[in-house]
Amino acid sequence: MKIMVDILQLLLLILGAPLVRGIIARFKARLQKRRGASIWRPYVELFKLLRKEDLTPPTSSAVFRLAPVLLFGCTVCVAAFIPVAHVSALLGSRGDFFLLVYLLGLGRFSLSLGALDGGSAFGGMGASREALISSLAEVPFLMGLVALAILSSRADITGMVAWTLHQNIFNISTVHILAFTSLAMVVLAETGRMPVDNPTTHLELTMIHEGMLLEYSGPSLALIEWASAIKLHAMLALLIALFGPWGMAAGGSGWGLATALLLYCAKVTVLMVLLSVIESAAAKLRMYLVPDFLGVASAVSALAVIFTMWVKR
Amino acid sequence: MGLVGIATEKILSSFSVFLFLTIILLAVARRISTSVLLFSLQSAIITAEVLATGFQEKLASAYLVGILIFVIKVVAIPRAFFVLTKRLKTVHDVKASTTPSQSVFVVAVMIYLSYAAVHSYGGAVRAPGDSLAAAIALILTGAFLMVSRKKAVMQVLGLLVMENGIFLAALLTTFGMPLVIEIGIFFDILMGLLLMGIFMFRISDTFEHLDVSKLRRLRG
Repeated sequence: MKIMVDILQLLLLILGAPLVRGIIARFKARLQKRRGASIWRPYVELFKLLRKEDLTPPTSSAVFRLAPVLLFGCTVCVAAFIPVAHVSALLGSRGDFFLLVYLLGLGRFSLSLGALDGGSAFGGMGASREALISSLAEVPFLMGLVALAILSSRADITGMVAWTLHQNIFNISTVHILAFTSLAMVVLAETGRMPVDNPTTHLELTMIHEGMLLEYSGPSLALIEWASAIKLHAMLALLIALFGPWGMAAGGSGWGLATALLLYCAKVTVLMVLLSVIESAAAKLRMYLVPDFLGVASAVSALAVIFTMWVKR
Repeated sequence: MGLVGIATEKILSSFSVFLFLTIILLAVARRISTSVLLFSLQSAIITAEVLATGFQEKLASAYLVGILIFVIKVVAIPRAFFVLTKRLKTVHDVKASTTPSQSVFVVAVMIYLSYAAVHSYGGAVRAPGDSLAAAIALILTGAFLMVSRKKAVMQVLGLLVMENGIFLAALLTTFGMPLVIEIGIFFDILMGLLLMGIFMFRISDTFEHLDVSKLRRLRG
């Protein structure tokens, strides 16, 4: 029973990911007074890409073919650590948050290698920028999670979520607000959203994530697109699980699970609206301002860790 | 009573967190208008704390002070700032002499210092430690804003943030000063703002900018 619930949660994260993307795009379109594409369009695009031929540059090696697979695998593993509607996950206590952060890092690393192997100039440029951002985002990501781990004295994500679930919803502590601020900024940077990277552009000078995908086509491209959608969904689910898990089911009753699932959908919708408002309101940062943005996130997360000394709840 | 009582308690115990957040955001804010909005938000939080204290200590005068703060600091002063920046036709940038991440680190150190300062005599005052630390952090941040921002407008704003901190500290340690003194302080702020507004117009008239670091030469 429990393993079924865990598998269902993982499937929700993986299969629901393109829908999250579609809905965000729709919200953004509405905010910009466009009608926007159907929310199911990312699925259609994935199917289209999966049926197409996989073209590889003649100079590329096996790294180029393997990178998308490795990226997809890492991202699915990350998703398997995150509880959605029930306080458990498929890989729940089999690894701590360090593993989660570095699985994401491994995915990025393989994609960067693939982009470099593709041989185009833009691939190398995108890879170097991605490496810069991910190395800067790693510090606030880890420190924010460390602050929460100290508070809950657990190192696995599921344990932290279970601890938070037992706290009073109104007794928000300073640590939680600071850690949320820094992790929210990290999520924007990690998933390549607006103030850091523009997910819709293909302009050479500005693109980061898209620059790495230029040489990919067909099923490989589908895997990468799907992986980045899963990453976005998993990061949103992580934010919800760590900072607003109230309503999550702890027992095994079907009724509790159903309400938890509905609540989860509501929470994700709130986050998606927020994300689309940010994306419509904010301008993309210049590349040299991104370190400042992440520096702020690091400072806030350092403050969160320091505050765990003063705040004991 | 029940629900309002709970809300009062929560406001007094956890709203200081949001004050810390406004402090950090003030450190990163790059535009004058953002800073002014943050100041307005900060004053709104303090208004809530004043009203909560008034409810808890059953002080009728605290409600009046709360309304005064709301009218003056949440509505009037930010409005005056917007009018001022529009009239002065100044650039929106605050001209910080530190990068945003440096400012955040400085502010983080200040928050840490204020906690350390409050910690040593935590038992002596009845006030919750978080809020008192927030008050001291507000004073320090106000001073930091005045020192590190080159625009004259931001120096006025830094002074106001400092004043917010002093007010909050007074509120927490004494549960509200007598009404006459409060009104006197508000009058002081308004006069100060008026004077500084005139002064800023003078600066921009004679120097054609508001950058404090360039006020080297004397002009007749």
